[in-house]
Amino acid sequence: MTHAVPRVDAMKPSKPGPTRTAPPRPPDKFPGGGRYPAYLAFGACGAFLMISASLLTRGIWALGNGEAAWDAYRAGLGHPAYLVYHVAAFLGLTWFVLRLFRLFPATQPYRIGPLKRPPDAVLVAGLYGLFFTVLAVGTLFLGGAML
Amino acid sequence: MSEVKKTIVVTRFDPDKDEVPKTQSYEIPVQDDWKVLEALNYIKDNVDPTLSHRWSCRMAVCGSCGMNVNGEPKLTCKDPISSYGDTIEVAPLANFPVVRDLVVELEGFMDKFKAVKPWIIAAKERAAEEGTHRQSPDELADFKSFSMCINCMLCYSACPVVSNEPDFLGPAALALGHRYNQDSRDEGADERNEIFRDEGGIFSCSYANECTEVCPKGVNPSGAIQQAKLNNVVDWAKSFVVPRRKSS
Repeated sequence: MTHAVPRVDAMKPSKPGPTRTAPPRPPDKFPGGGRYPAYLAFGACGAFLMISASLLTRGIWALGNGEAAWDAYRAGLGHPAYLVYHVAAFLGLTWFVLRLFRLFPATQPYRIGPLKRPPDAVLVAGLYGLFFTVLAVGTLFLGGAML
Repeated sequence: MSEVKKTIVVTRFDPDKDEVPKTQSYEIPVQDDWKVLEALNYIKDNVDPTLSHRWSCRMAVCGSCGMNVNGEPKLTCKDPISSYGDTIEVAPLANFPVVRDLVVELEGFMDKFKAVKPWIIAAKERAAEEGTHRQSPDELADFKSFSMCINCMLCYSACPVVSNEPDFLGPAALALGHRYNQDSRDEGADERNEIFRDEGGIFSCSYANECTEVCPKGVNPSGAIQQAKLNNVVDWAKSFVVPRRKSS
């Protein structure tokens, strides 16, 4: 659990030195300033990922249990609480992928397997292409257009 | 060169007298081509010789002069004073115990540094008659950016995980370990990956990316850690198919 007060043993040496030291301070702008709110929001979006993954698992289970189970699952998704959740999850996951896709190219190694990494623009275009494809397929599937 | 007055608010701490750090303001004339370090040196030389701060090369190579300037970890020899307003707050690096004024305790950092075995590990010593170890430009490029670290510790100061997980090895140490794992001359990846996967290793990183944002040398420690995570997951998955080699 992250909190604004650092542990006094942060970066403490294994053997105490000869001089008394003042305890460490937390990063000055943590948690509300600078780039930290974006990081915390990014982490908080993990809740949407977890809940959405559970819903998806339930959908797959329903799909394997016959038409009645699948129709009941889809009808359940039309409940107002689910609709509110879907809007929040869509906004949260969109925010999540925007940040992830911005950071992703910098995490790629110089070579990916035997090939040199493609230019950042190609990587980002590929990621957005994948995101919109999954979004479109998911929407069509849950909307009943693909079954 | 134009000269203006600026107020430098410096954190002071004397371990013999002070219970907690306090601040002290100095109004000094500064030239607009100065770096923040030059303002501190001016104070030390002309106003208050008791001020303690670390510096050496003045050209962003030695990594000694890292401090928090207006709340952001900066290499003060590289940080133009003209980019700030009339008042500049200079504090010791966050997340480190403070020895005196702007000087922080380095031993904790050195302990973490050594933990990742930042040296070439070879299964056997190379005989002199075998000649030099050849490395292609592509093999060098696999790790070169990670070897540019100057150990300035700005990444530790910015990292929110370092504040809260004392065991976390931290950005620079993990990036350096990954640098050796990527080196074609090295055979110690299995040993280092065990350390990486342990408590306080790569999976403690929650990808705040602050280390990469503040790095003055473009090392990208968070990129190194994410690559190391992927390598370790692939290594773990492979272990179900191919028996893992025993570490030497």
